[in-house]
Amino acid sequence: MLTLALLAFGAARMPFEAGLAEDIQAAGLMPPKMEIGTRDKIGQTSSAVALGGLRTLVATFLNLRAFGFFEEQRWNDVSETYGTIVDLAPRTRYYWETGSWHSAYNAASYYLNDSKLPALRRREAWRAAIFQGRAFLERGIRNNPNDWNLLSSLGFLLADANKFPAFRDPNASFARAAETYHRAWETGKAPGYVRRNEFYALARVTGKESEALSLAHELYTEQRNHVPTVMILLLVLESHENPELDVTARAVEIFGTPEKAYEALASHWQHTREHFPIYGVAGALKSLEKSLAVSPDKSIFNKLLQSPAGPDEWFSH
Amino acid sequence: MSKTNAVARGSHVGRIWVIARHAFTQLVRMKVFYFLAVFAVIAIASNFFDLPQHEGPESLGVNVLHSIKSWSLGTMTLFSVVLSIVATALLLPKDVEDRTLYTILAKPVPRIDYLAGKLLGVLLLVFVSLALMDALMTAVLQIRTTVVLGQQLGMAQAQGWPADTVESLRRDTLLNGPTWSLQGAVFAVFLRASIMASLALLISTFSTSTLFTAIISFMVYFIGHFQADARAVYLHAGHSGESLAGRMGALLFSLVLPDFQNFNVIDAVIEGQTMPLMVLGKLTLVGLYYAVFFTAASWLVFAEKEF
Repeated sequence: MLTLALLAFGAARMPFEAGLAEDIQAAGLMPPKMEIGTRDKIGQTSSAVALGGLRTLVATFLNLRAFGFFEEQRWNDVSETYGTIVDLAPRTRYYWETGSWHSAYNAASYYLNDSKLPALRRREAWRAAIFQGRAFLERGIRNNPNDWNLLSSLGFLLADANKFPAFRDPNASFARAAETYHRAWETGKAPGYVRRNEFYALARVTGKESEALSLAHELYTEQRNHVPTVMILLLVLESHENPELDVTARAVEIFGTPEKAYEALASHWQHTREHFPIYGVAGALKSLEKSLAVSPDKSIFNKLLQSPAGPDEWFSH
Repeated sequence: MSKTNAVARGSHVGRIWVIARHAFTQLVRMKVFYFLAVFAVIAIASNFFDLPQHEGPESLGVNVLHSIKSWSLGTMTLFSVVLSIVATALLLPKDVEDRTLYTILAKPVPRIDYLAGKLLGVLLLVFVSLALMDALMTAVLQIRTTVVLGQQLGMAQAQGWPADTVESLRRDTLLNGPTWSLQGAVFAVFLRASIMASLALLISTFSTSTLFTAIISFMVYFIGHFQADARAVYLHAGHSGESLAGRMGALLFSLVLPDFQNFNVIDAVIEGQTMPLMVLGKLTLVGLYYAVFFTAASWLVFAEKEF
């Protein structure tokens, strides 16, 4: 009698529970199933706890353990632990960002300065750490496609002056950064600076100058976007679009006075190593130095360019 | 004759309530509320896992908020499941041992009233405990969210973030603080514990010992997290070519065992997502359905039992 009742009860509830599971899945509230590999990595006890509906708690424990590995600079363990953590809590942005940060920034910086390794091996380890951080963020984005923060973090990594030299084709890296920032902006939740970051990345892509100029005009219509980098890039891209443009006059028009124009152009020139376009900048600087009577020893052309340099210099010894 | 006695004699509800209160008092005397002190230590300690941050204001302190929610809800889940199983498994054998059961059943008390009263007593205890833990968690989380938000906004202003960006930051951070979804998650913890208590009640009606009831209940609890996999195997068997025996096994498994996987929405809430009211409503229906069925099934067994 009891067995029959149990079966009948089970049959009656099954469609409802299956429907509820679908609703939860559709709402994005159901975490993916735990992989067998993950179960092996966290051990029997933690597996039991995780399977008992406490996955985020196990992830929190592992995050503390990963911090210990980070302090001991055991980068492989850090990376492996974060791989497990995100299997347990794939919707927590913090874990994706922190896992990627440990690889692309902390481990990469460690290899940059690790004097125990020969330069060539340090360089490869540095590059591998940055690649690993990028791959981790890309995996995070596949799991959380509408998270503007993750998209923005990837864009930042790809366009970071200290990181993009790790990627073989900086042009492709900037194009991908612009695309990623654009996706972040399209979520509708990202703040205004994400749109500007998209522009900064796009402006550095050779062959996309017209597209970048259109975006510059769009941004420039809003007062809040009248920041020095947008203004200078607008000028540079206009100069690319129209080689006949009087860059000096246009610079004074944009920045208000020749002094301010010179200051902005000089600062832009100093950041040449960040791969920002410099169409017409040298000519305008020379013209302004002449009109402002800048002495040769104070000329911007006699000053050293600012960091970052690049892997060839970083790993030269 | 007092009003309570009159109610107790006159209606099922009255009798159930009297037995529930007695069961509640009986459990409180076992000093289970001492656990709340442990919970308070955990909730406060989780505040100190403030690991280094890697970015701007948007990440500052968010990890601590996750940590508080994760530790608190994890502790609530463990406590509620253990308490609901152990307390229910203890009640019937203890009444037999103390001979209280004979006194009660010698009176005109239907056995269903006795069972429902005992279950209600356990659920009352679990509910009160969870409510107290929830209040503590919400207070700690609220205080910490205010601190984190203050730090984030201070840093954002120092960096000259525009107003819309600051507003977006504020919204994101508040999602990780005390929300209605978080209260819904605590209620889901209670529903899962209710299912376990009613299941333990059913097992204890035919079990020979408290230990047996507890062990079987814990096994069902863990296996219940795979029930949905068995159901999927049965429902989608045609796609992967399982044998008839495999399909029938999966069907049997999914008919007999409760499905706890749907309650894993709690994890999503800890991760800062919003639980739709409709999902919580359906989970409540599921919880009620199990509780009513298991209590009725317990009565079927208990009614036939000779003492």
